[in-house]
Amino acid sequence: MSLLVEFLSSIRRFVLEQNGDELRKWLLVENNVPDIYFQLARELKTSFPANSNSVENLVDNCLPEENDVPESRGSPWPGFNSFMKEYLEYWRDADFSNLVKVHARLSDLLNSCANALANPTYGAMLLQTSMSLSEALSKLVMGLTRQPELLSQIQGGIGLLGEEGNEKKSIVELAADIIQKIFTSCLTDRSSTRWQPPKGKKVAVYLFANLTLKLLFACDKSRLAIQMFTNLSTSGPALALYPASQRVTFLYYLGRFNFDQGDYWRAHQAFEAAYLQCPPQFMKHRRQILTYWVPTNLLLGRFPSLALLQRPEAAGFLDIFLPICASIRRGNFVDFHTALFLSRDWLWAKGFYLTLLYRLKPLVWRSFTRRTFLLAWQGSVGGGNRASVPTLSFQDMVTTATYVQKQLEGYTPAPKRAATAGLPPKQPQRKLQVNPLFMKAVTNSSTAAAEADGGGDSLVPPPAGPRFLMPSEGLIFGNKRPDVKNIEAVIAGLVYAGLLNGFIARRQGAFAIEGAKRFNGDPVKAGWPVPYESVMERFKESWQDAVAAYESGESPDPPGEFEDVPGWVKGDMFSRRD
Amino acid sequence: MASTQNKSDSKSEAKQQPEQQQPTEQKKAAALEEDDEFEDFPVDDWAAEETEAAADKTAQHLWEESWDDDDTSDDFSAQLKEELKKVESSKKR
Repeated sequence: MSLLVEFLSSIRRFVLEQNGDELRKWLLVENNVPDIYFQLARELKTSFPANSNSVENLVDNCLPEENDVPESRGSPWPGFNSFMKEYLEYWRDADFSNLVKVHARLSDLLNSCANALANPTYGAMLLQTSMSLSEALSKLVMGLTRQPELLSQIQGGIGLLGEEGNEKKSIVELAADIIQKIFTSCLTDRSSTRWQPPKGKKVAVYLFANLTLKLLFACDKSRLAIQMFTNLSTSGPALALYPASQRVTFLYYLGRFNFDQGDYWRAHQAFEAAYLQCPPQFMKHRRQILTYWVPTNLLLGRFPSLALLQRPEAAGFLDIFLPICASIRRGNFVDFHTALFLSRDWLWAKGFYLTLLYRLKPLVWRSFTRRTFLLAWQGSVGGGNRASVPTLSFQDMVTTATYVQKQLEGYTPAPKRAATAGLPPKQPQRKLQVNPLFMKAVTNSSTAAAEADGGGDSLVPPPAGPRFLMPSEGLIFGNKRPDVKNIEAVIAGLVYAGLLNGFIARRQGAFAIEGAKRFNGDPVKAGWPVPYESVMERFKESWQDAVAAYESGESPDPPGEFEDVPGWVKGDMFSRRD
Repeated sequence: MASTQNKSDSKSEAKQQPEQQQPTEQKKAAALEEDDEFEDFPVDDWAAEETEAAADKTAQHLWEESWDDDDTSDDFSAQLKEELKKVESSKKR
């Protein structure tokens, strides 16, 4: 008996036994396989040349459809035989030195496997094989995306046209499409409902979801996951019914998706659930979750506790996040830029740099306005004239902001004056707060701006002139010196974001604090609410707006509960029966 | 304020910053060297009791919500205070 016939006889036996594990073990596709697969390939090349239907005939002869199949037994089916034909041709034409070709054949093979898997009666026995083929294709695609030359060969090839016939899909999208086809097959399996322990192909819903997510994230295509999350929300089984490893992995990717979308409240919920369900011994996984969970909370206005940063999985995070938090706490823009700059490589590699730079700035402004108020306010907590509303003068803000802007531009304390300026005696010669890294940067040749500010003269410009700032490096915009209008705009933005509580008193040129009475006359507590609470309040308001829009018929989509995260099927499996 | 990470913009901005403090950065980079892949777990399932989800959540202190700093005796505050005083007195003159 030829090797091929022997091989197919074994496959037939596994199909009759519905032995998915053995099918996976035999239907290998990678090049690190026993030599017998290469012998098989040689036999195929010799006896079954391309452009003939002899392979198909061989498969049909060796894998005949069974009649009267008893329960618990299986039978080959047309989709399976097509897949087997594709499998044998894959080995016949296999040339692992030509990854472009391997990619094309493996994509076809997985597609064929997905079609076979869709069979409602026997398809489930191909679950394990589908998984291993999907993993192999993902691995290959991830590798190819790092090889631009090969990638361009594939992208320039045939078969990459989109449905409209003109839009080319990337190889990542094409692979994700095939794996999602398998995911959909699992999702729509009717062996069990959404709220029952999964049966049939449904057991693999989250395995394929996670595999798709892994591929999309590895290739920076996370936005493509939205359709999958929508499908899960609509008909997906409850996540709680699946093993912990699948739950944690899924929640990690769900968190990252929401982080990328800028929905930090949803991202936090997913990361929290992932982290808390991941036992401490899986330190690498916990670290990976924490890597994203910490910035998520910073963006929600919460700082990681020292206890958290000192956990073993957080090694090295303290050096990165503590200076960022300290600069926000103090409202110190120079320290803020320095802290981000010193961890730039890591923050950049993780995709956090710009998000933190832009999105944390309002928090620095909040602390900075608070600090200016603490320094400039003449009243006392609970005391003073009851009729007068505590205010923060815009002019005072211009003074402090101009000072900080100059620091950012590389100005340093005037040596003589600094010594007599009333600074604490221990600090007259203290090191400049300005990061020396800033000092060496490209400088603006014009020193006109240095003279034009009209503020205090306690700082002197650097010898080569004020440093040229990129738009994001300045307080307002590059080297723009803050004026009353700018300050008013910043404060209006902070009030709108809920980070300040009060109103703009234009006539007085000040920010007037509201509700001090509720805080025993403490204007600081009243004017600068806890950021996290303000941020959450805003999230709640936008959710309430969505509820109102749905109820009034303005929006067709029900917003669900406040804690809902699209794609995360929480569900109460004990009370729901739909 | 824009928040979308525009890699080319950020890179050009970042490049404007001069190179310094290499030893600190190198040390940090070594401590943080890691790949970004969320690996497959070596086991499929585990009991909830093995996780923090089962522990008393109130005992965990993971996040600080009230982090304001009212201390105005630091350098930064002293400089700002001095500047406010100076500008105020220059107005009176």
